[in-house]
Amino acid sequence: MRNRRNRQAPTDQRLAMSDLNRRDLLKRAGAVGGATVLAGGLGSLGAASAAAQDGSRRVRQVSVLVEPQANVPEQFETIQLSAQRLRDIGFDIEVAVMPWEQQSDTVWFDRETWDMTAWQMVGRPERLDPDEFIYNLFHSSTIEDGYNFVGYSNPAYDELAEAQRVEVDHEARVELVYQLQEIIGADQPYMFAVYPHENYAFSTSVWDPATVVDAKGIGIKNYWTFVGAAPLSDQTDMILNTQSSVQAMNPLYISGGADSWVTELIWDRLMRIDAAGLPQPYAAESVEWADDTTLVATLRPDLMWHDGQPVTVEDVIFSFQAPAGEMSPMYKPFVAPIEAVTAVGDNQVEFKLLEPFAAFLTSGLSKLNLIPKHIWEPVLADLAEQGINAEQYQEETPIGSGPFKYVNWARNQEIILEANADHFNAPKMTRWIMRDMPNVAAALGGLQSGEINFLSDYTGDPTLLQQAADSSDGALSLVSTIVVGFRFLAPNHRRAPFGDAAVRRAMATAIGRDQIRINIYKDIYATNADSHVSKALEAWHAPDLPDYAVSDVEAARAILAEAGYDWDDDGFLLYPDGQTETL
Amino acid sequence: MPPRAVYFIRRLGQMILVLWAIATILFLIFRLMPGNPLVAFIDPTFTAEQAEAISRQFGLDQPLPVQYGLYLKNIVTGNFGTSFFQKEPVLGILLEVFPNTILLTGISLTAAYVFGVIAGSVLAWRRGGKLEGAGIVFALMTRSAPEFFVGMLALAFFSFNLGWFPSSGVASPGTIYDSVFQQLTSADFWRHLALPALTLAIYLQGLPLLLMRSNMLEVLDEDFVTMARMTGLPEWRVMLSHAARNALLPIVTALTLGIGYAIGGNVIVETVFSWPGLGRVLVRAVQSHDYPLAQGAFFLIAVVIVGLNFMADIIYSVLDPRVSTARQEVA
Repeated sequence: MRNRRNRQAPTDQRLAMSDLNRRDLLKRAGAVGGATVLAGGLGSLGAASAAAQDGSRRVRQVSVLVEPQANVPEQFETIQLSAQRLRDIGFDIEVAVMPWEQQSDTVWFDRETWDMTAWQMVGRPERLDPDEFIYNLFHSSTIEDGYNFVGYSNPAYDELAEAQRVEVDHEARVELVYQLQEIIGADQPYMFAVYPHENYAFSTSVWDPATVVDAKGIGIKNYWTFVGAAPLSDQTDMILNTQSSVQAMNPLYISGGADSWVTELIWDRLMRIDAAGLPQPYAAESVEWADDTTLVATLRPDLMWHDGQPVTVEDVIFSFQAPAGEMSPMYKPFVAPIEAVTAVGDNQVEFKLLEPFAAFLTSGLSKLNLIPKHIWEPVLADLAEQGINAEQYQEETPIGSGPFKYVNWARNQEIILEANADHFNAPKMTRWIMRDMPNVAAALGGLQSGEINFLSDYTGDPTLLQQAADSSDGALSLVSTIVVGFRFLAPNHRRAPFGDAAVRRAMATAIGRDQIRINIYKDIYATNADSHVSKALEAWHAPDLPDYAVSDVEAARAILAEAGYDWDDDGFLLYPDGQTETL
Repeated sequence: MPPRAVYFIRRLGQMILVLWAIATILFLIFRLMPGNPLVAFIDPTFTAEQAEAISRQFGLDQPLPVQYGLYLKNIVTGNFGTSFFQKEPVLGILLEVFPNTILLTGISLTAAYVFGVIAGSVLAWRRGGKLEGAGIVFALMTRSAPEFFVGMLALAFFSFNLGWFPSSGVASPGTIYDSVFQQLTSADFWRHLALPALTLAIYLQGLPLLLMRSNMLEVLDEDFVTMARMTGLPEWRVMLSHAARNALLPIVTALTLGIGYAIGGNVIVETVFSWPGLGRVLVRAVQSHDYPLAQGAFFLIAVVIVGLNFMADIIYSVLDPRVSTARQEVA
């Protein structure tokens, strides 16, 4: 979840722990039932609404949880603006500002206690297949301790969400995904705000702009740019910045956002998500469905580990079996659909799945890092003996088979990788150097002065970046890309009146997405969000969803009135006749 | 037993008591903070069972008293544990950034105190002059300007505008050093150190400057200064050998404390200049609920501060025996 700066934390970023990736990681926090061992003693937020009298028709004061303005200014401003529109339709809103840790802890572990929260989902390559968001966010099986933290429950949705998982026919699956988005459009379980744009920039005198790839939903900071970028001058090292420090380099541990960019380059995968967002064979020469539950991957010839050993089918099988036990809790779910992995001859691997799973190419074959059996088998055995898992282990010199080799890691300073000339898709650059730069203004200055030549992490004001690019006479190129993630206001369906879809539609109508995009994202750094499947995923995003673009307080009040709601003399919202405040 | 030995033992006992209290507060403070470290670890696809396994792995499933007992035992044996996130021994992580912090703060402190003492003496000597008026305004301005503001100005001017110094880090991109010694003796390192050290020194010089000035003003009224003047010594000798020497004593006390606090690193300067020091590690550890790392860092800082105080006490008791015997009489 948090992160981004920070948000820094292991599963994505954010974090970041950043910090970047901590936020991102936390956002993905899911099933943790019963694990609230140390949940700090926060009082229930519901206590704030204790003022509402039992038996009264008046809707209690409701709280919106949000991080401090300094952490994510856009989020905070979005909430302030939305709260104002909701007050206009009779809600008594209190904006509760709290640190990210406290907010996430409340939302995830005390699911009965909060009314509304600001939230965001971040984009990551495996989310380019809509399955993760479709299933995890709104399927009722994840209400209790999973990602459906708002508590949205709709049997019709559940049925379609399960159907799209096993539908291997692309056209038929697209149709199901459209229907799912239409249900969400009608029910408005979230008040969607925007799909933010990811802003990255690079020096056009150092890197040939034609070789910098803008990947769908991800932006120009991606695998294809890193292997493909062609140097134009003597400077053949790519120097990038990260705001959150790398915590670990481990192919069996998703330790953060910045970390994942490094692991992706050192360790190769059977398939890779291409710039259009679709999985393509990569370390595998080809991947074929033999039947609904059987996949056959043919390995490329002459693949080598960085220590000079050949990559064999045994290594591939080991790479998919190792995370299945207790060694890699974070990768375990991605191999869960596999029933068996077996060798066919000396260059083919057969994956037998437990049931048809359309997204497996993206979430399985494009996700798992290939690891050398000769290195990891003894390591894992040793770790198992000590009773700890692979996350606790850091290789002295990481060995993969990817396009970049590990050179050096100065903690909290920089990571140096060098091009693997023997790779089948050998990078054009000499070295890939990622510098820790917690100060985003210094990173932008460094890009202008040439200290870095690829701005790969920028959370500052996009207008400043735009100005820097505009005034550079073309020396800097800014690329702004719609991402797969989105920002939204999440109401808790467990608590009246938010379980009522009419109320949520009225809220969406009152808020209006245009004014958020225009006022807070300067119109051009975000796109209105209307679905959990981003507009970046053109192949999956349903057309003609309700857009709730313009704020219309009158129409919102009409929706509430029609659903039986009323207002008291002070203008505050009353429940329909016969219904009273129960909290 | 001689009074001094009794005093020594009593102070040692007090020091251990203080460290135990600090350790206990550190233990509780992180566990009472909102949020919990598991949140940072959790993947949406985790099952409750997996989450519990992680919790077990860190000992977070144990009751608090048990966790506390283990914690104290580890501290006594010098084991600060393994960082939750970096998966490495806490001591190693801290020692890796320690030289950077020591150098940055050491150099800044030295520069700030040398400048502050001299400038403070001069301002006191020129009491009532234009120089004093301007100097006080300068000292107050630099003392109250936020470090990040001074830092960004220094960056904008010396780095981005003039290009004299690099803007971030401790080394140029792609530099690999074989040893800390090699790093510290390279010109590249010192070029990177210049701006952060300057920023920190500008921030730190205000205190010694103002302190020195007021001490000097007091000392200048003392009889022995009048006496020195009457003996016909040149003014500069009166100022340096007689007045300044005596005015320095409180500065030494301030410096001792300053060193202690500076060990904690300087989060703001380290962040502005991307300086890999203890402050940044500490802040990130706190944000991510990395208990072992944060506790280890705070505890080390506490040991250094308490230890320096202890040494100062002992030295004082040697320099001025009244310090130890006075306590005896009270007892």
